[in-house]
Amino acid sequence: MTGAVLTPLIVDALGEFFRLGTLSEVFVNGLSKAALYAMIASGLTLVFGLLGVLNFAHGSFTMLGAYLGGLVMVVLVGSATGDLARVLFFLVGTLFVFAAIGALGGAVEVGLIRQLYDRPPIYQILLTFGLALVLDEAARIVVSFYGIQPITDWRAALGTKPAFMVENLSVAGLSVSPLALFQIVFGTVTIGAVWLFLTRTRYGMVVRAGSEDDEMTAALGIDVNRVFTTVFALGSAIAGVAGMLLMWDPVWGASLPLAHETLLPAFVVVIVGGLGTFRGTVVAAGLVGMVDATMTWWFQNAITFTGLPEMMIFLVLVLTLIVRPQGLFGVEEVGGH
Amino acid sequence: MSLLELDGVETYYGESHILEGVDLEVEEGEVVALMGRNGVGKTTTLRSILQLTPPREGSIRYRGEELVGKETHEVADAGVGWIPEDRRMFSQLTVEENVRIAVPKGSDVQAGLDLAWDAFPDLEEIRDRDAGDLSGGQQQMLAIARGLVGENDLLLVDEPSEGLAPLIVEAVHDALEAVAGETTILLVEQNLPMALDLADRFYVLDHGVVVDSGDADEVSTDSERLRRHLSA
Amino acid sequence: MAISSPTDPPGEGGDADEAGTDPPDDADPATPDEDSIAAASGREWWRRYLREHTAHALVVAAFALYPFLYALLAASPLGTEVETLLPRVETMVAVFYFGLFAMSFDFVSGYTGYLSFGHAIFYGTGAYFVVLAANGQIPLLAPGTPFMLLLLLAGLLAVVIALAIGALSFRLSGVYFAMITLGFAQVAYVFVRGWDYVSENPRDGAAVSTEVHPGGFDVGVPGVDALNLAIGRLTGDSVELLFVELGGTEVSYYMVGLVVLVCYLAMQRLIHSPFGTVLLAIRENEERAEAVGYDPFRFKLAAFAISGFFAAIAGGLFAGFRRSVAPDNSMYFLVTGDALLASIIGGFGTLAGPLYGRLFDETVREFLSKRGSGGGLLPYLREHLPASVIEADLVGGLTVGGAIETFLNGHASLYIGVIFVLFVLYVPNGLLGTVRDRLGGTVAKQLPEYLDRYRRD
Repeated sequence: MTGAVLTPLIVDALGEFFRLGTLSEVFVNGLSKAALYAMIASGLTLVFGLLGVLNFAHGSFTMLGAYLGGLVMVVLVGSATGDLARVLFFLVGTLFVFAAIGALGGAVEVGLIRQLYDRPPIYQILLTFGLALVLDEAARIVVSFYGIQPITDWRAALGTKPAFMVENLSVAGLSVSPLALFQIVFGTVTIGAVWLFLTRTRYGMVVRAGSEDDEMTAALGIDVNRVFTTVFALGSAIAGVAGMLLMWDPVWGASLPLAHETLLPAFVVVIVGGLGTFRGTVVAAGLVGMVDATMTWWFQNAITFTGLPEMMIFLVLVLTLIVRPQGLFGVEEVGGH
Repeated sequence: MSLLELDGVETYYGESHILEGVDLEVEEGEVVALMGRNGVGKTTTLRSILQLTPPREGSIRYRGEELVGKETHEVADAGVGWIPEDRRMFSQLTVEENVRIAVPKGSDVQAGLDLAWDAFPDLEEIRDRDAGDLSGGQQQMLAIARGLVGENDLLLVDEPSEGLAPLIVEAVHDALEAVAGETTILLVEQNLPMALDLADRFYVLDHGVVVDSGDADEVSTDSERLRRHLSA
Repeated sequence: MAISSPTDPPGEGGDADEAGTDPPDDADPATPDEDSIAAASGREWWRRYLREHTAHALVVAAFALYPFLYALLAASPLGTEVETLLPRVETMVAVFYFGLFAMSFDFVSGYTGYLSFGHAIFYGTGAYFVVLAANGQIPLLAPGTPFMLLLLLAGLLAVVIALAIGALSFRLSGVYFAMITLGFAQVAYVFVRGWDYVSENPRDGAAVSTEVHPGGFDVGVPGVDALNLAIGRLTGDSVELLFVELGGTEVSYYMVGLVVLVCYLAMQRLIHSPFGTVLLAIRENEERAEAVGYDPFRFKLAAFAISGFFAAIAGGLFAGFRRSVAPDNSMYFLVTGDALLASIIGGFGTLAGPLYGRLFDETVREFLSKRGSGGGLLPYLREHLPASVIEADLVGGLTVGGAIETFLNGHASLYIGVIFVLFVLYVPNGLLGTVRDRLGGTVAKQLPEYLDRYRRD
C-alpha cells in the first residue's frame, strides 16, 4: 500500500463513511457492540471495585456461560420450534445460566479467593489466572468429550437462533440486524437492572460503600466478607449471561477462545472507564463499542488490515493509561488509610 | 466491670511494634481522652479495639466479652462505633445514604434518619448532596451523625477537630458534648482545650504505652505534667 | 477496597496493617564474609569464585550430563519408564530458551515488583527478528549474517522498545502498569498477525526459508568456523565426542544451553551488584528508596531494558532452533502467562527459579502429551497394562483407556493450573524460593557452608 494509492482510497472512503446510511448502520452496530462490551465488563468492574481483585477468570466465566447457555438451547430447541418460543427459551436459559455461573463464582470466592485476603492483592490476581487455566482446560475436556470442536463456534448452538435474527432487515432503506437490536435491548435491560440494584437497594448501597472503603463499611457493622462473596457471584453471573448472549452472535459464538477473546476487551473497557466505577464501565463500553464498529466498517471498506478494530481498541487502552490513567470516571485517591 | 478494658495490648504495623503494652479502662457514661504526640499509637489503639489492626498480644474486653479474634463488624454490632480520622465519608453516596448505612440491621431506618436530622438540621437540608462535595465541617457533623444513629454504646472518636476552622471546632465540640450525654466516648484529640473540656478522665500515650493518667480537672492545658509528654 | 491510585508506588497504599507475605527477599548479596576479605588481595579470587559458585557448577554439570544419562537409562531395562518420566532432550532445549525468557521476566517483575504483563513483546521481537533476517527481509542485513550478531541486534532492538514503552509505562504502577504493558504487547501482537510483509499468511507466522537460509543457525564465535556449531533439530551439526555421536538436537541442547548459561550469569552478576540492591530497595519501599537519593524511574527503566534484552535473545534462540515463528506462540499474552506460571512454580525473585518452573511445566506436559512421543502416560499404560484393564468399563461406557484419553492425555494444562493455584495458596515462594527459605539464603551461598559442616565432622 503506497501513499499514492492510499490517499484517494481514504478520501473515497471518507465520503462513503459520512453518509447518513453508513453512519446509522455503524451507530446501531456500535450500540450493539457497546451492549455486549458493557455486559462483558460490568461484572469485572463490580468485583474489582469491591474486592480489589482483577479477576483473570472473568473471561472463563463468560465462556462457560456461552457453552451452558448453548447447551440449554440445543436441548430445548428443535427444528420445529417457533421463533417466539426460541426467544422465550433463551430468556429462561438466561436465568439458569445466571444462577449456575453465579453459584460457581460464589464457590470460587469462598473456597479460594477468601484464603488470600490477608496477602497483597497480586496473589489474588495470580490465583484467578491459575483458575482461568483450570476452567478453560476443564471446559476443553468436556467439549472434546462430546465431540464439539473446541476452537470453532458451536454450530448447533448458533443454529438455535430464531429465524428472524439470522438475516438483516431492511428498514427505511437501512440494513438493520435484528440480532443487534436484541442485543441492545437485552444489554440495556441487564445493565439497567444492575444500575437499579446499585442505586436503589440497600444492598447495592452497601456494595457502593464497600467499594469505596471496606474498613469503614465493616466498622458500621456490615459483614463485608459476605458482601464480597455475593458481589463476586453477581459479577460472575453477569459474565455468564454475557456469554449466553454471545453464543448467538456469529462474530463471537461459543468456543473455548471466547474466554480470552472477551477478557482482554473487558480489561480495556474497565480501565478506560475507571477501575471500579460502574458508571465508567458503561460509558467506556459505549466508547469502545463505537470505536469497534467504526473500525470494522473501515476495515471492510478501505483499510485492509485484519485486526484493525482490535488494534484500535488496545490503542485506546494505551492512550487512556498515558493521558488519564484513572479512566474517565475513576477517582484519583480513594480511602484514606 | 468497666465498659471497655485494654490489658497489655501489643499491636504491630508490619514489623513495627507500635503498641507495646497498653492498659486502659473506660467506664460507662464517661468521656475519656487519649492524648499523646503524633505517631505514638493513639489511632492504632482505636484500630486495635475495632480489630481493624488486630493486636498480637493482650486482651480487649467490652462488657466483659473478649474482642480480640472477632471480626470488625462483630465488634461494631456489639455497639462500638467509629468516627475516624479524616472522617472517611463514602464520597460517592449522598448525605442521606451515609446516614442510612449507619442504621443497624433490624432497626427502623426512618427513625434513624429522624434522629440525625433532629440533631443536625443543617445536614437535612443537604441530604441529597454527594458526601464528597461537603466541606470539612459538614463532613465531621455527618460523621458524628453516623455515630449517633448507629445505636452505639461506645464511640471511638479520632481527631474530630483536625483541619477545621475554630468556629467549626466549636460546633463540633458542642455536638460531641450533646452526644456524650447519651454515649460513652473514647476521644483521641490533639486540641487540648477541647479534649480536657469534654473529658472526665485522660490517658497519655508515649512510646506505645500509657505513661500518665488522671482526672481531667487535675490538669490544665499549660500544666508541666502534660507538657512533658506532649511537646515535640 | 480502597482503589489505589494509578501512580502509587508498589508496596504502599496503606497495606501496613496487612500481614503480607511479599515475594521472597533475596538474601542480601553484598555482605562480605571473612573469606572474601582475606582474598580481597586478588590472589585467590578464582578460589573464591569457585566456592561461591559451587552450587552453580553442580547444576551446570547435571545439565551437561543429562543427555548422556538419558541415553544410558533409555537403553537400560528401565528404558520405557525413563522415557515416560523424563523429558526428551528436544524438550529440554525448549526448557532452556523459554526458561531464559521466564528468567528475564523474573529479572524485572520479581526484583522490582512491577509485573510486566506485556513481556511477550520482547520474546516475539527476538523471534521475528531472527526469522525475518534469515529470510533477508531485514534491510541492511544479509541472510547469512551470523546468528550471534542477530541475537545481539534483536536484543538491542528490544532495549529500544523497552525504553520507549517503559518511559510511558513507569509513571504508573501495580495493575495499571501491568495493563499498559499488556496493551502495548497486544498492539504488537495484532500488528504482526496482520502484517503481510512477514509472510503470505501472517496469521500463521513465518518460517525460515530453506532456499534463502538452508543451513542451521551457528552458535559460537562469529566468523571463526571452527568455534561454531549449528543448532536445529534437522539442521544442527553432528559431533562425535569420544565414542558418542551427538545429533543435531543434542548439539542444539548444548549450544542453546551455553548461551542461556552465559545470559543467566550476566543477569545474576547484575542482581548481585549495587544495581540489584537498589532494585530490591525499590521493591520493598519505593518512596524510601527515592528519599535516600536514588531515582527509581531510571533504575526501573534500566531493569526493564535489560530484561527485554535477554527476553529477545530467548526469542531469537527459539526461532533459531524451531526455524519458524507464529504470533500465537511468541507475541500473545498467554506466552507471558507461561512465564508467569514458571516464575510462580519456580519462585519469584530467585532468578533461577523460573527455569526450574519451566522444567517442571514441560516435564508434566510431555508426561501427559497426547502424541505420546518421547514417552507419555498413555503409551506406557497401553504397553504395560493388560488389554483387559484398558478395555474395562469404568462408568457408563467409558473404558479405563477412554478415561485416560479423555482426562489425562493432552490436558496437562489442567493439572498444571491446579498445581499453580495450590502453589499460590500454599507455596507462594515457589520451589526454589522455599528451598532458599529453608536454607536461609541462596543455595550458592549456603551450599559451601553446608558442605563444610560435613567436612569438619
